[in-house]
Amino acid sequence: MRLRLRSTLAGFGVVALLGVLPGPDRAAAQPKPIKIGEINSYSGVATVYTFPYKEGLAMATKEINDAGGVLGRPLEFLHRDDKLKPDEAVKAARELTLQDKVDFLAGCISSSVGLALSAYAKDAKVLYFATHCQTSRLTWDDGHRYVAHTTNNVNQYVRVAAKKAATLPIKKWANISPDYEYGHNMWEEFSTYLKKLKPDVEFVQLNWPKLGETDHSSYITALLQSGAEGLFSSVWGAQSIAFVKQARPFGLFEKMRFVAPSVGNPDELDPLGKEAPVGAIATPFAWYDAGLHKRHPKLEAWTKKYTEWATAKGLKDPQPKLGASWGYASAYIIAEAIKRAKSTDTEKVIGVLSEGFEMDFPWGKVVMRGCDQQALPPQWLGVVKLDAQGKPFATDIEEVQGKEVARSCEEVKDLRAAAAAKQKK
Amino acid sequence: MLDAVTSLFPWITNGPLIVVQVMSGLSVAMFLFLVSVGMSLIFGVTRIVNLAHGSFYMVGAYLMVTLVETLPQHAAMFWVALLLAPLGVGLLGGIIEVTLLRRIYHREPLLQLILTFGLILVIGTLVLIVWGPDNKSVARPDALAGSVRIFGQPFPSYYLLVLGLAPVVAIALWIVFYRTRWGMLIRAATVDREMLGALGVDVATLYTQVFIFGSWLAGLGGALSAPTVAVALGMDGDVLTTAFVVVVIGGLGSFAGSFISALLVGELQSFGILVFPAVSIVLLFAIMAVVLIVRPWGLLGRPEE
Repeated sequence: MRLRLRSTLAGFGVVALLGVLPGPDRAAAQPKPIKIGEINSYSGVATVYTFPYKEGLAMATKEINDAGGVLGRPLEFLHRDDKLKPDEAVKAARELTLQDKVDFLAGCISSSVGLALSAYAKDAKVLYFATHCQTSRLTWDDGHRYVAHTTNNVNQYVRVAAKKAATLPIKKWANISPDYEYGHNMWEEFSTYLKKLKPDVEFVQLNWPKLGETDHSSYITALLQSGAEGLFSSVWGAQSIAFVKQARPFGLFEKMRFVAPSVGNPDELDPLGKEAPVGAIATPFAWYDAGLHKRHPKLEAWTKKYTEWATAKGLKDPQPKLGASWGYASAYIIAEAIKRAKSTDTEKVIGVLSEGFEMDFPWGKVVMRGCDQQALPPQWLGVVKLDAQGKPFATDIEEVQGKEVARSCEEVKDLRAAAAAKQKK
Repeated sequence: MLDAVTSLFPWITNGPLIVVQVMSGLSVAMFLFLVSVGMSLIFGVTRIVNLAHGSFYMVGAYLMVTLVETLPQHAAMFWVALLLAPLGVGLLGGIIEVTLLRRIYHREPLLQLILTFGLILVIGTLVLIVWGPDNKSVARPDALAGSVRIFGQPFPSYYLLVLGLAPVVAIALWIVFYRTRWGMLIRAATVDREMLGALGVDVATLYTQVFIFGSWLAGLGGALSAPTVAVALGMDGDVLTTAFVVVVIGGLGSFAGSFISALLVGELQSFGILVFPAVSIVLLFAIMAVVLIVRPWGLLGRPEE
């Protein structure tokens, strides 16, 4: 009896083992997926942007795969969390290329992560699609053939804002920007372009609070005495909300016209509510705008589809925020490049990117420019207002094509030459 | 000579402006004091550098968001929330002290740092899970939403609340420390905890009480700051550095030191911005460096034996 029990158990064991072992090559029946290692910040402070981005990317991937994939193969993104650290990102990139054998790399929200991944890509000769960070150094000063940027860069939306600022009857401009690469890059682009368009402008009281400063009272009172009639701000996210909440009761926005690219997006406007800076000029992604819906007939349906998708995925706020459109566009641009190359071979895909192409999205035409492998999407400009219920939103939306404002291929060439000369020194 | 000065600093003859600049510096200082004093207190008694102090501040602010949203819409509810949110943080602090910190008081300081650093990550992730990644905000109560005129310059009325409340907290702390038996025990514990234990005082309970009290103060700082900032992930780290520097300048463990240090940092920063806006980022650390060179144990701290 005992013996029998034992052999039965052994029999079960063998069956169980067999179950675990791979069957006769089942995987071969399905085409091998095209694997893209996607590195972004999926924990902590940046999740407000990266969660919508990831869902936009996932929705596009599903659409692409449902339509038969790319070159008959499904697209697959392998996500890794960079914890906002360049070294973590490079470590993940190395693992993804060496162990997971991914075909391409993608990702980044932090500009420093993007630059680190780009440097790794150049070294390892892997093609890297920067999908979420925005420094112009990626494809310009530090650009090379192994990096492509699938979203707009700082230069494009700041220039749109500066162009608008130049039309205002304002001579004296002040600045408040966070004291790091991005903030300085933003002010540099804004002030030089504004000066070029309107040479008689003056710049006073340039404030550089640290990134993440929580109390701006002293900057605000200093601004009040500066005599400035216009204020440019590249403070963004939670810090921007804090700055606006603190500046409003001081009467700052009555004293000077506020130009702040990030402030028109709902991740800042919704928490601000009736404390929003009415009259501020911003560069939002205005998916809800009736005028944009008229110009881009597919936008409304896309908005509805994304909102349903994000709700089903359990996002607490399923609105198609900026990141959602970037994730969505990035997946399609990567797929298109592979499709046009008719291969996942790195050099062939780079060949396609360096020639450039154009794609239609629900929000308009995106140009992938060949000379710098930089995306030039449409840009929007809006003014913050309150609706009848006291909810703030950006309205009076104007559309400007990225290619109309971005630095030209010749300028980019000069930037790269200057950066190379600097490195030699 | 005077002409040279006024051309360099045009604001120097503008009396009302200077008053408003002083006032904004003061309100910065009072926020700094409220968020840092609890950290100093906890270190003074338990000798633990509580790196999770900023996380307690963040939880205070998030609890404020939830309370203001869920309590019935009424003008008085802001104040009820302001009362309840810090109590919630105090409770959280108590639970953490009893379950975790109590086990490591006698271990090496590195272990304590690792534990409180771990708490930052755990609390940060829990906040992300509970409240989600989106920025949140608390509206100021209607009575304090606007501004008052000071010499013709608008000044946010909410800051008057902070300017009033922080000194009240400071005086209340002084009374507790120097006029009650509990305060006497706390002061004794900062000097010699072994001796205090040998004299029959239940030091373990005292530690728990102090930790709850310190957490409550962090929660109060967070709840009170909530209407002036965005309640968002990452606010823990932003406040931790500043609070830590204020505590170090004032002298670890000295609440009067924290108060003076907060005033010093607030006002120097306020006028620093007016004179050299470009250097404001280093100002905080420059003040700390100068103070530490002159007095390595901080303004009112005691040198280690």
